[in-house]
Amino acid sequence: MNSVILSATNRLLSGLLIIFSVFLLLRGHNLPGGGFAGGLVASCAFVLQALAFGVASAKKLLVFDPHTIIAVGLLVALLSGLPAVLDGLPFLTGMWDKTPLPIVGKLGSPLWFDLGVYIVVGGICCLIVFSLGEELEEENDAKHEPDSKEKKN
Amino acid sequence: MGTLLTTSIAAVFCAAFLAPWVHRVLGARAGVVLGLVPLGAFVAFASMVPTMAGGGNVKASWEWIPSLGIELSLFVDGLSLLFLLVISGIGTCIVWYAGGYLHGKKDLGRFYLYLLGFMGAMLGIVASDNLVLLFIFWELTSISSYLLIGYYCEKEKSRKAALQALLVTGAGGLAMLAGILMLGNATGTYEISKLLAMPEGAIAAEAAFPAIFVLLLLGAFTKSAQFPFHFWLPNAMEAPAPVSAFLHSATMVKAGVFLLARLHPCLSPSPLWTTVVAPIGALTMLIGVFLALGQTDAKRILAYTTLAVLGTLTMLLGLGTDLAVKACMAYLLAHALYKAALFLAIGSVDHEAGTREVDALGGLGRLMPLTATAAVLGALSMAGIPMLMGFVSKEYFYKALLGVPGPRGLWEVLGVGASVGMVALAATAGLKPFFGSLKTTPKKPHEAPWAMTIGPLILGMLAVCFGLFPGWIGNHLIGPASAAVLGDPSFSAGLKLWHGWTVALALSVLTLALGAGLYFLAPRIRGATPLFAFLGKIGPERAYELVLDGVLGFAKWQTRFLQNGYLRNYVLTVGGFTVVLLLWLLPRNEIGFDLSKMVPTSVMGVTTCALIIASALMACFVTSRFAAILALGVVGLGIAILYFLFGAPDLAMTQILVETLTLVLFVLAFQRLPLLKEFSKVSTRVRDAVFALIFGGVMTALVLVAFHFKSSAPPISGYMGEQSLPLGQGRNVVNVILVDFRALDTLGEITVLAIAALGVFAMLKLRPIAKTEGEKP
Repeated sequence: MNSVILSATNRLLSGLLIIFSVFLLLRGHNLPGGGFAGGLVASCAFVLQALAFGVASAKKLLVFDPHTIIAVGLLVALLSGLPAVLDGLPFLTGMWDKTPLPIVGKLGSPLWFDLGVYIVVGGICCLIVFSLGEELEEENDAKHEPDSKEKKN
Repeated sequence: MGTLLTTSIAAVFCAAFLAPWVHRVLGARAGVVLGLVPLGAFVAFASMVPTMAGGGNVKASWEWIPSLGIELSLFVDGLSLLFLLVISGIGTCIVWYAGGYLHGKKDLGRFYLYLLGFMGAMLGIVASDNLVLLFIFWELTSISSYLLIGYYCEKEKSRKAALQALLVTGAGGLAMLAGILMLGNATGTYEISKLLAMPEGAIAAEAAFPAIFVLLLLGAFTKSAQFPFHFWLPNAMEAPAPVSAFLHSATMVKAGVFLLARLHPCLSPSPLWTTVVAPIGALTMLIGVFLALGQTDAKRILAYTTLAVLGTLTMLLGLGTDLAVKACMAYLLAHALYKAALFLAIGSVDHEAGTREVDALGGLGRLMPLTATAAVLGALSMAGIPMLMGFVSKEYFYKALLGVPGPRGLWEVLGVGASVGMVALAATAGLKPFFGSLKTTPKKPHEAPWAMTIGPLILGMLAVCFGLFPGWIGNHLIGPASAAVLGDPSFSAGLKLWHGWTVALALSVLTLALGAGLYFLAPRIRGATPLFAFLGKIGPERAYELVLDGVLGFAKWQTRFLQNGYLRNYVLTVGGFTVVLLLWLLPRNEIGFDLSKMVPTSVMGVTTCALIIASALMACFVTSRFAAILALGVVGLGIAILYFLFGAPDLAMTQILVETLTLVLFVLAFQRLPLLKEFSKVSTRVRDAVFALIFGGVMTALVLVAFHFKSSAPPISGYMGEQSLPLGQGRNVVNVILVDFRALDTLGEITVLAIAALGVFAMLKLRPIAKTEGEKP
């Protein structure tokens, strides 16, 4: 897909989407938003990149492999439950720092958990879209070379 | 002493998990080092002998799941201690032996892991005070048995035998779990020590007792290979020799006998006990001896005689007199010693000479003197020659049979008949390979390495020591064990070598004479292969195969039917099933159309609804796939607007995001599909339309029912709303529920999502190299 509009807007949008996703994640505890929505928005940035410049470029932008990202996200979510266990409380009990920080607000283990959800959801969307997109690109490449395959469809 | 008990069992498990690493570091010496762990456990258990002989017991307990009455509790009395000593003592010999027998085999580290893991589980079974804990260890032994039988996993026969053993004992284990739960419900406790302390006959008087009894018996009988579940045990001989010696003769198969003995005081007051347990034991004993006579492979002969002994032990417990229980315990110890020695010696013969066929072996005694000594001691003990442990136990066996109340003659004839067979079989498997003229074998035989001779020699020597000095064993091991089985702490069982000129002695002499005669007839019986092949065809193993084939066939059929690869059929199946379920449930509720509860909406709302309906209709009628996707996207966004209008911005936001990504995925996937050229037949379209209308109608009805639904419990939404800020430190209730109140659910959900994503990835990327064009639009 070579769309001038898409590639031009993408340059502006990608960064904004990421910032917006972090904003959603942080405000989620008090206002609409949260890790799930944030993760989806973050993945949109990379999906847009994939649509505009191809999957390879989106992968480069993402730096880490989506598999690794999903695993890290699950680990973060899992680890957020451990402070409570160390304190003798049931796994995943919310533990809060009482003094709120500027901008971020109160810190607590549910926020870490939400961060895990954010990472996992973002990773999953990227993984699925990248896989499908790569498949499509391969097919298109094959179509442009010989025209034998096209007839079958 | 409770700490010592726990530490010993835990040490064996630790050794199991460290074993692969130890093997990598130490190589061939790993067996010797790892064998020190069970040896240490043996010494620890041995230090408890005086306590048991004094009528005491050892207990240790930790809270585990108090709400279900399940504790991590251990309890050792005379019976448990006898088993603990047998398991750890023979286990030590086995680990040493395995190091030599499997020397240089790949995966030996893994083998140690399974073997020591099994040992820990087996110790756990006999030391458990809690029936649920016992069950967990019980299943662990089934699984390790599966892994060990299938150790030569490149052989199909091994894999099949392993699966068979797992399915038979696993099915029995499930029945036993049901029995345990029913017993716990009926009595209010899972603690064995508390069950044993109940007044005699209290449990047998419960209404559910017959069911409990049968279920527990199914567990014990499958594990101990009683008829008609006996067939898995001979097949399990595909395992390496140390495994057969340890699991399938000395210890695991005795777990069923242990369970019967453990629960003897609870179960035996019922008349069911004697009428069921003793005859099945006797039947297994006779079938075992008879089928053993038809075998030509020394290891299989030993396997079938193990069946016979398990039958004998079950029969003795079933008879349940003081003498019978004492005989059972003595027989159990004698058998564990001689059978392990014999299995290991035959394993050495197989290892060094390359065959186990009794007719192809002879004269090995001169070439393998140490192995031969062990085998001969084992065989003589098995035959019941005086001065050996086997003789003492057989004397008590006969005395017990002579002492059974009721009609004379039946039990004695059965007992003598089986013992005559055992004499002939002991000579065939344990003596014949080592005497006579030397025969040519596939390998050039020589003495086995010391690691493989020391174990069987120790076991053979013990058979002699215990045979010569049965008094000590009687007072310190057999006595306390029998007292525990009988539930009578005052019971004391002296064992004697010499009883004077008694009927039992006369029967022993008769047995030896008849057995010697049968030995010379044995080659002819072995020759009758067609008969034994025919018996194999009509045996219960055939039923097992029929059931297994049936289940697999059904699974294949229903997979083909349900998982046919057409997405539209999946949608039909899932939707149709939902409709049927709802139509079945909905009429039980009041369906109403209560206008008063409806919220008035704005012009905006009405317009959005109209937009949704129009887009949905458009999606049905356009001929371009891309237009249909866009129309569906409009439906989704319209719903998001509705969410906004009704005050659910969180939902609306998520809906918009999901809708956007779905659209992208649709576009990516649909680019691969051809243009819509052929359309469905009219009949198909009518079917789909009717189905869609029904589905939509039922969903509408569901919403209306939800309006009228009155729950007896107060809704939890109020609580969540109130507690969101004080408990969850957040004002967004939805998010607080997701990441705090119900965080565990969310953790499960994101895990499922991650697995689903991996599934998508695998389907797209890991397809076979030859691309299939079979995906239908």
